[in-house]
Amino acid sequence: MIVLLIIAFIGIILFEVPGLIKQKMWRDLVAFSIYLFIGMALSIPQVLGIILPNPSKAIEVIIKPVSELLK
Amino acid sequence: MLEHGKIDGKQAIFLMLSVVLPTAILTIPAGIVRTARQDAWLSVMAATLAVLLIAWLVVSLSLRFPGKTLCEYAEEILGKTLGKIVCLLYIWLFFLYAGSGAVRQFSFFLVTAMMPETPIEVFSITVVAVAAYAVRNGLEVLCRFNQLFLPVTGLLAIVFFLSTIEMKPARLLPVFDAGLLPIVKGTVMPTMLMGEIVLLAMIIPYLNKPEEAQRIAILSALFNGFVLTASTLEALLIFGPDLAAHWIFPTFNAVRVISIANFLERLESVIVAFWVLGGFVKVGVFYYVAVLGSAQCLNLKDYRPLVLPVGVILVSFSSFMHGENIVDMIYYISQIQVPFMLIVFEVGIPLLLLIIALVRGKGGQSS
Repeated sequence: MIVLLIIAFIGIILFEVPGLIKQKMWRDLVAFSIYLFIGMALSIPQVLGIILPNPSKAIEVIIKPVSELLK
Repeated sequence: MLEHGKIDGKQAIFLMLSVVLPTAILTIPAGIVRTARQDAWLSVMAATLAVLLIAWLVVSLSLRFPGKTLCEYAEEILGKTLGKIVCLLYIWLFFLYAGSGAVRQFSFFLVTAMMPETPIEVFSITVVAVAAYAVRNGLEVLCRFNQLFLPVTGLLAIVFFLSTIEMKPARLLPVFDAGLLPIVKGTVMPTMLMGEIVLLAMIIPYLNKPEEAQRIAILSALFNGFVLTASTLEALLIFGPDLAAHWIFPTFNAVRVISIANFLERLESVIVAFWVLGGFVKVGVFYYVAVLGSAQCLNLKDYRPLVLPVGVILVSFSSFMHGENIVDMIYYISQIQVPFMLIVFEVGIPLLLLIIALVRGKGGQSS
C-alpha cells in the first residue's frame, strides 16, 4: 500500500513540477509543494495505520450547545 | 482572471441542483423524520423559505462586487490579513470539509447499498480522480457535463410516480401532532443542505449575465425545495414516520418496494445512476471552488497545479474526518456539520461581510 501511495505522489510531482519550473511559476510551485505536503502528512500516516486526531471532535465541542438544542 | 470560461443561467441553475440534490435526496428524509415525524414535509417547505433568505443574502453580497468571488471580496471588505483568514476558513472548513463529506457519503452509499465487499477507498479515489480531470478542465466542462446528464434524472420523476401505488395518505395524519417545535428543529438540516447554494458566491463572476444571479438563486432554491419535499413525502407516504426514520436511505428503499406485475422491479438502479452522476458533479463543484479559492487566496497565476494535491487532501479528509462507519457519519453530519456550517459559513460570515461592506461603504452597483 505504502509503495503504491509513494508511486502516486511521485507521479503527481512528475506530472506538475517540470511544467511549473519551465514556466518559472515559483509562487505556484511553492503553493503546490505546501498543498502536496499537507496531503502527504494526512495520507501516509493513515496507510501506516496511525489514527490521526479528528478535527470534527474539536468542532463538536464548540458546537455542542447548539446541537443539544436540536435534539 | 484565473477562470476564463463563462456559463449561462441555465447551466448555473443545473449546477446548483446537482450540488444540493444528490446527497440531500438520500439523507434528508431520515434525518428530519426522526425529529419532525409525519410533519417532516412541512419542515422541508419551511426550510425552502429560509434558504431563499440565505440565497438573497449571498447574492446581494456578491452583486456588490461584480467580477469578484467570495475569496476576493472578503479581502476587499476586511482588509488583507483578515480577508485571507476568512478565505482560508471557507476553503478548509467548508469547501474541503463538506466536499470530503460528499466523497464519504458517495462511497458509503455505494458500499452499503450496492457493493458491501469492496473497500470504501476504491470509490473515494475513483470519484475524486474523475472529478480531478473535470476540475482541471475548468468550470465550463463541469457545467456542460452536468447539463448533459441532469435531464436524464427526469427518470426519477417516473420512478416516483410508479411508487404512488404503495402510498397511503393516512400516514401523514395527524398533522401538527407534536406541536410546532419539532417542525422548527427539523428545518435546520434541510436548510443547511439546501444552503450549500452559497457556493454561488464563487461562481457568480463567471456567469455570462451576472445580473441574473438573483433569479438563478431563487429558482434553484425553489426547485431544490420542491424535489426534497416530494422525496420526503414519498418516504413518509410509503413507510410512515416510524419505519422511514429507521431506514438510513428511505428514498432508496421506497423505490425498492416498487414491483409492477412482477416485471418492473429493482428500479433502485435508477437512483444509483442518479447518485453516481450527481455525486460526481457535487464532489466536482466543491473540489473546483476549493482549488479556485486557494489559487485566488494565494495570488497564483493558474489554479491547475493545485488540482492534484487538493484531490489527495479530499480523499484523506474523507477517510478520517467523517467517522468510521455509516452510523458515525450520519451523527457527524447531523450533529456537527449541519449546525456548524449553517451558523458559520452559510449565515454568519456572509451576513457579517454584508454588514461590514455596508458600514464601510465598500462595493456597490456603481463601482
